[in-house]
Amino acid sequence: MSTTFSLRLGALALCIAALSSLAACSKATDNAPVDTRTSTPEQIARGRYLAKAADCAACHTLAGGAPFAGGVRLGSPFGTFYGTNITPDPKHGIGKWSAAEFYKTLHDGVAPDKQLYPAMPYTSYRTMTRADSDAIYAYLMAQKPAAVPNREADLKFPFNVRFAVMFWNMLFLKDSLPDASVGTSADWTRGKYLANALGHCAECHTPRGVFGQMNGAKALQGSDLGRVVPPDITPAGLVARGWTGADLQTFFATGISRQGPAFGEMHPVVYLSTQYLSPGDLRAMSVYLLGDAPPPPTPVQPGSADAAQVAAGRNTYVALCAGCHGLGGEGKPHVAVSMQGSSTLRQADPHNLLVAMLDGMDASAFPGTESLQAMPGFAKTLNDEELAQLANYLRSTWGGQPGDVTAAKVKALRDAPSH
Amino acid sequence: MTAPNQTSMIQMKPLSLTINGVATGPIQTPDGLMMIDFLHEYVGLTGSRLGCGQGVCHACVVILDKPDGTSEEVRSCITGAHFFDGKKIRTIEGHGTKNEQGEVVELTPVQQKFLEHFSFQCGYCTPGFVNAATVFIERLKREPIAKASVDSEIMKALDNHICRCTGYVRYYEAVKDVVMNTPGLVKDSA
Repeated sequence: MSTTFSLRLGALALCIAALSSLAACSKATDNAPVDTRTSTPEQIARGRYLAKAADCAACHTLAGGAPFAGGVRLGSPFGTFYGTNITPDPKHGIGKWSAAEFYKTLHDGVAPDKQLYPAMPYTSYRTMTRADSDAIYAYLMAQKPAAVPNREADLKFPFNVRFAVMFWNMLFLKDSLPDASVGTSADWTRGKYLANALGHCAECHTPRGVFGQMNGAKALQGSDLGRVVPPDITPAGLVARGWTGADLQTFFATGISRQGPAFGEMHPVVYLSTQYLSPGDLRAMSVYLLGDAPPPPTPVQPGSADAAQVAAGRNTYVALCAGCHGLGGEGKPHVAVSMQGSSTLRQADPHNLLVAMLDGMDASAFPGTESLQAMPGFAKTLNDEELAQLANYLRSTWGGQPGDVTAAKVKALRDAPSH
Repeated sequence: MTAPNQTSMIQMKPLSLTINGVATGPIQTPDGLMMIDFLHEYVGLTGSRLGCGQGVCHACVVILDKPDGTSEEVRSCITGAHFFDGKKIRTIEGHGTKNEQGEVVELTPVQQKFLEHFSFQCGYCTPGFVNAATVFIERLKREPIAKASVDSEIMKALDNHICRCTGYVRYYEAVKDVVMNTPGLVKDSA
């Protein structure tokens, strides 16, 4: 071996060693707790608002648990996910993450320690600006650390192979989400950002394909996710059920409007997120959903239904429903919703109506002073035929829908495993 | 100017049912009348109490006797009278044993224990509690429970009923007294 070569080799080894230590240094810098003193109070306040608009708490704060410590269960056809700890705890949370790593997680679904599953809606958060990501990061880093361990997702093969998500991302991770409405105004543009980058509406309201990817061709047309299914929130879908921009703003701000209350998984969305949006942002979101030139709301027309079915359904309504919902379907304030103008009754698919009748509803409180009492489920009181007749009476009387609900449809929902 | 005749707009339907073992009706009854009003206004049974009128306080419950021999509580303030057409119910008036003059000569164990334990003060919620406890005791006669679960089962059975005077404890103690001292309700009692 020549001396020169030895020297070169030695130099190379030194270089490698130096580079390695440099890398180690850089790693150490990354892993050091972030100096949150660099965040301004304004940035933290802004981050607080954005974290609400992005509804981080929905998955990352367990009811009764420490804020942002994770643990919320998220069911899916692929298995069960659990929201993670995003407090500044250095071991279980994001305490060692840099703002850049946080942004990469929102933008690419790649956290410092692992590839995330798209149960984390980075598919929507991808369109968030770096400045907004940094503000949310500043807010989260200013929270109290909670040493709550994360719970690993419980997934079936092959979905438990995290690596495979990289290929999923290559195929399905897009830089923008399709619009269901048409607009160019400042409100529409702001609303698009609120609904997509922050509110991630499409994650539930856009139907998904066999690989769990959002079907962009059917943006916001409603999906079959969960026991209560997210309805169609395209302009056509909304106006067909009587929604106006003013109603949407009332709904997002208070959780209840002429069309009925937020229920199922939408109730926590209002409670944790939309009620905190500024009036301007609420207006923007409603403009984005309906478009710059919203079509007029469709008035309710009586639906066609078999007279004998309707008569039988009415008898059941008078016996078991009218006590709270009123003989004329007018409802009782703070007790039971009105049937007149009900968005759920006006859905072409009776799914959510039947689920409400079978399962009942928990008592719910809304932002402000509004509340509704618990509604009993009638799965044990009424058989499939009686429930179908009742549904057909309700749909044809107040929903403008045909009385086409069959006992078989009721049975299918009665027997469906709850998620 | 004459006011529109409201009564002519109300649809009447015949209603027949068995109340406290007595076949009642057919009685022409308004279509949308709630059961509590039928009991009070059409058959003179005023013991059932209208509390909240919206299904929360359970003061108004009646006992529905089902064909399979089981019994359950039904809130009469939010259930239409015609729901009970052809059915059998019991109200607070039907519990005690009466003589030929219609005077109550003996109370049921539930009623007796409520008195002995001073379970109630104003008594407004009592008809509901008597019915709830009776349904509970009847269930235990069919399906005895383990001694260890007596407290929690009493809690579940009475939990929906609201009382604003006595704080529930004496109702619960009275029901436990009945459960523990009626043979056959508890599986592993000594």
